[in-house]
Amino acid sequence: MQEREVTIVPEEGLHARPAAEFVKEAKSYDSDIKVIKDDKEANAKSSLNLMSLGAKQGDKLTIRAEGEDEEAAADALAELITQAEPEA
Amino acid sequence: MVEKKAGEALRMEGVAASEGVAVGPVFVHDAGELEPDRTSISEEEVEDEIKRFEEAVQAVVPKLSETAEKMREQGNEDEAAIFDAHTELAQDPELADGVAERVKNLESPESAILAVGEEYAQMFANMEDEYMAARADDVRDVARQIAAEVMGESASGLEFLDEPSVVLAHSLAPSDTARVPKGMALGFVTAEGSKTSHVSIMARSMAIPAVVGVGSTLEEAFEAETVAINGGEGYAIADPDEDTISDIEKREKELEEERKELEEYKHVEARTSDGRRIEVSANLGSAAEAEDALEWGAEGVGLFRTEFLFMERDELPTEDEQYEVYREVAEAFGEKPVIFRTLDVGGDKDLPGVEQPVEENPFLGWRGIRMCLEIPELFKPQLKALLRSAAHGNVKIMFPMIVNAEEVRQAKELIEECRGELEDAGTEFGAVDVGVMVETPAAAICASDLAKEVAFFSVGTNDLVQYTLAADRGNERLRHLQGADHPAVLDLIGKTCEAAEEAGIWVGVCGEAAADPGLVPRLIELGVKELSMSAPSIPKAKKVVSET
Repeated sequence: MQEREVTIVPEEGLHARPAAEFVKEAKSYDSDIKVIKDDKEANAKSSLNLMSLGAKQGDKLTIRAEGEDEEAAADALAELITQAEPEA
Repeated sequence: MVEKKAGEALRMEGVAASEGVAVGPVFVHDAGELEPDRTSISEEEVEDEIKRFEEAVQAVVPKLSETAEKMREQGNEDEAAIFDAHTELAQDPELADGVAERVKNLESPESAILAVGEEYAQMFANMEDEYMAARADDVRDVARQIAAEVMGESASGLEFLDEPSVVLAHSLAPSDTARVPKGMALGFVTAEGSKTSHVSIMARSMAIPAVVGVGSTLEEAFEAETVAINGGEGYAIADPDEDTISDIEKREKELEEERKELEEYKHVEARTSDGRRIEVSANLGSAAEAEDALEWGAEGVGLFRTEFLFMERDELPTEDEQYEVYREVAEAFGEKPVIFRTLDVGGDKDLPGVEQPVEENPFLGWRGIRMCLEIPELFKPQLKALLRSAAHGNVKIMFPMIVNAEEVRQAKELIEECRGELEDAGTEFGAVDVGVMVETPAAAICASDLAKEVAFFSVGTNDLVQYTLAADRGNERLRHLQGADHPAVLDLIGKTCEAAEEAGIWVGVCGEAAADPGLVPRLIELGVKELSMSAPSIPKAKKVVSET
């Protein structure tokens, strides 16, 4: 299992558009990936789930990946959410 | 009401909102509630029904991603992003799990997807974060499309229109008309609306016929196969007989000839028979319309509505983003003047990131310049973007909803501030003329005070009529009170022209009246120097001017 503690940088937090990009990236890994905010846990491959965290800019999240490619997945997603400009 | 029998012709009378005629298949855009066919299923159907749901998702996903692609090709990046997000939502694993669980409890898949979608929608709506609250509609939209697919109904989304059709709808929002693929709408027939509602304005700028405000008769036409529409005379006929069709086709030819005849007026400078120069310009709502407008013979832009930049998005447009759009329009028109109206919204439209109170009368509320002056962080980026675009063309800035000279002075001070800041930052900007909309009786009556502050007036007749006659421009029962030919309105326009003449500034008209052949000669007599209208009306207006 790999965990990364991150603080959300994009202004839009994890709203529809950034969530969709995040999900797309998450789906490219086989690992089971969770995003945890406070006591709420969301499936990183579900934008509905992610959006229901209501995660805003500046919120602290934990990204937890478990599986074959857990390290690469955790790194890539942590980087994505700490970039100032989410890639279009 | 008499029930329409299948195949029998049904006549619908409404407002002649946009000229032209057409006959074509019916496309019903029904934004009403979608009811599941079945609520429950039996134990042995569970597996098949889950599969049915999965197949529906498989069918919806490519449609959504194709729409995103199409939007992207048309340069519509914001719309494309919305459909990207919808594509992702449709194949969301949590959505599928939620549906599967309900189906296992013997709920029908169509009922399950609507229910799960609604659960998430409610959750988002309750988040007290306005961006997230807006996502509630995204989830509902996607859930409805999947449910419709499960039930074997075609989703009624206008973006899926793939055969040229006459669109029937209770009402059409700007986002609805924007989603219609080019060339696919032959005409619009709506139950609600008036000549100045959005669908009418859009139809005229797209040069397709529209009849609006036909009332509840419309519903009887939902089952019809074809509809004939005559937008110039304000009627539509469902399941028309042979005679009607040949009448419409004959009219189509006549209109085609009239268009050809008007062709020669397109690119002439408009002058009255005694040689007075009248500028005939276009009203635009987006940069994409600029080329079309020039082709119709626009001698400038008399009204560029900047609201479209601010609508239906998650955040306010940045100064740079606005600058790109304004510059594109300014460059397209070169030396020809382009008048940008600064943001004019109120409580009737959502503005991302701006806390708007719920108001009983948004048209008499905190809107337009009233809002902008109180939120410099909203107003200044727009003013700076406009000043910067002025380095690339003949840009003029116009303020809406003005009722006194103090508002104009405050707005001009903000422009000064913006100039200073641009200068300090070493950013290139150009000179602009500043003008105001005359759309309140107060502005017309105080025109001589206002004239001291500005370089031009533009009379917005739609609102001036609404405010002068106390008649809501969207209220179909008040159609007889929506004309600019009321003596009170003409008197106010006359006063505005007199004050302008005295101060040595010019007056334009940018409402519906500017394109009304019956009114144009009156407006010119009163002293109006510029007429601005939806682009397809320009050739005819030039002809009317030349005969005045």
